Amino acid sequence: MIRSFEKEVSWRAGGLAIVVHLALLGALLISFNWKAAHPVLNVTEVELWDSLPNLQAPPPIPAKPIIEEQPTPAPEVKEEPKAEPEPVVKQEAKIDIALEKKQKELEQKKIADKLKKELALEQKKQLASLQAESRKDQMANNDKSLKEKEALKKIQQEALAEDKAQSDQQLLSAKASANAGVVDEFKSKIQAKIRTKVNKALCGIGNPELKFDIALLPTGELSGTPKLVKSSGTAVCDEAVERAIMASQPLPLPADSSLFSQFRSLKLIFRPNE
Amino acid sequence: MTVSVANDMSIFSLVAGASLPVQLVLVVLIITSLFSWWYIFIKLATIKRAETNAEDFENAFWAGGDLNKLFESLTANRRKPQGMASIFEAGFKEYVRHKKQPRMEVSDVMEGARRAMRAAYNRELDDLDAHLPFLASVGSVSPYIGLFGTVWGIMNAFRGLSNVAQATLSQVAPGIAEALVATAIGLFAAIPAVIAYNRFASSVDRLSVRYESFMEEFTNILQRKS
Repeated sequence: MIRSFEKEVSWRAGGLAIVVHLALLGALLISFNWKAAHPVLNVTEVELWDSLPNLQAPPPIPAKPIIEEQPTPAPEVKEEPKAEPEPVVKQEAKIDIALEKKQKELEQKKIADKLKKELALEQKKQLASLQAESRKDQMANNDKSLKEKEALKKIQQEALAEDKAQSDQQLLSAKASANAGVVDEFKSKIQAKIRTKVNKALCGIGNPELKFDIALLPTGELSGTPKLVKSSGTAVCDEAVERAIMASQPLPLPADSSLFSQFRSLKLIFRPNE
Repeated sequence: MTVSVANDMSIFSLVAGASLPVQLVLVVLIITSLFSWWYIFIKLATIKRAETNAEDFENAFWAGGDLNKLFESLTANRRKPQGMASIFEAGFKEYVRHKKQPRMEVSDVMEGARRAMRAAYNRELDDLDAHLPFLASVGSVSPYIGLFGTVWGIMNAFRGLSNVAQATLSQVAPGIAEALVATAIGLFAAIPAVIAYNRFASSVDRLSVRYESFMEEFTNILQRKS
């Protein structure tokens, strides 16, 4: 391979050859961006406010978790009052008493009312004793009836408070449900737009269900790639839906920019074969 | 065939992800390229040395000294003379030998010296020409080897594509990229080899012309002496 007269230069030549190839490798590594280009979105989000937000006004958005997968307004309204934990617990505690009492309540209510008036006149002790004497069978229950009356009062107050809270909630939820209507409308618009682009043939027969998490920009474009939360079981189908999501950019968004916060991240459910 | 889009396209993962024939082609090409560069550097050094040797010897020869002294200084050197010096040595040795024998015709003496110089010249030319055929082969063949690897890789990439109902570019792109690496390395091996071959061939031609003209001139000198 090597002539005898070439031996003295062979080592140097071999070293140089290796240096040349290392240089080529270095050039390949440096001059090419071997990573597939994912454009880094340097988007600054700005929310424009017409006026300063009123701090006293309770923000309806956190009060109501609207980013539910399938919001059904009717049960929501029902659930809302029950969602307050404290009254429920108290009610539960009182319910035992109330139940006992409620059996007698019809008879006792008049008495209790009477008692109430008499007590209001600060003749409660005498009258109470009179009452106790006159009705010995009730005497044992006298203390109880006092308590019961207090409990009754409390329940009435609570009922009042609940009513008030409920009316407040109704106001809020009326407002929120108006928003929720718009939000739902646009969510269904987004779903519908994506649905038209899904190649249903790829999802086979049956009724696979997929869940995707997507993040949106105010322009309606996606920030980042959709995240597959629940696979349909076939990778081809997942990819088809993902492509459909990418292809349907920009997604429809409501003109009201204050609602955008509810679209920033969305959970979408697809049943391509439905 | 990976279903997900390969985001990591570093050259190492490209090569590692290539199919076996493509990898073999890459290995062959890299070895070929290493050897061709090795020979290129060897030839650069040896041809440059032959040129300076020829320059030095011509200076010494035409300085007009005694030919016997020049011959002795060459043979006293432990190293075997190379290039023009070896031609001179072979011719002069043969001339002296023939001269020592009685009753030799001048034409026979000159003929013998010429043959000896011709033989030395051929040996020198063979040394100068060493590795040039290899460089020529690398220059002409390695693009084809690279092309073979590329075609194979692209065939693979498209075969993988047929399994997918909805074809996207991102499903073939990694395969094509890894296949094109083979062509790139083939070209990287071929281009320097071709350039070096042409350059060395012309250098060797010039040296051989120089040697031949020296032979003619030396023959004339010997003829005048005899």
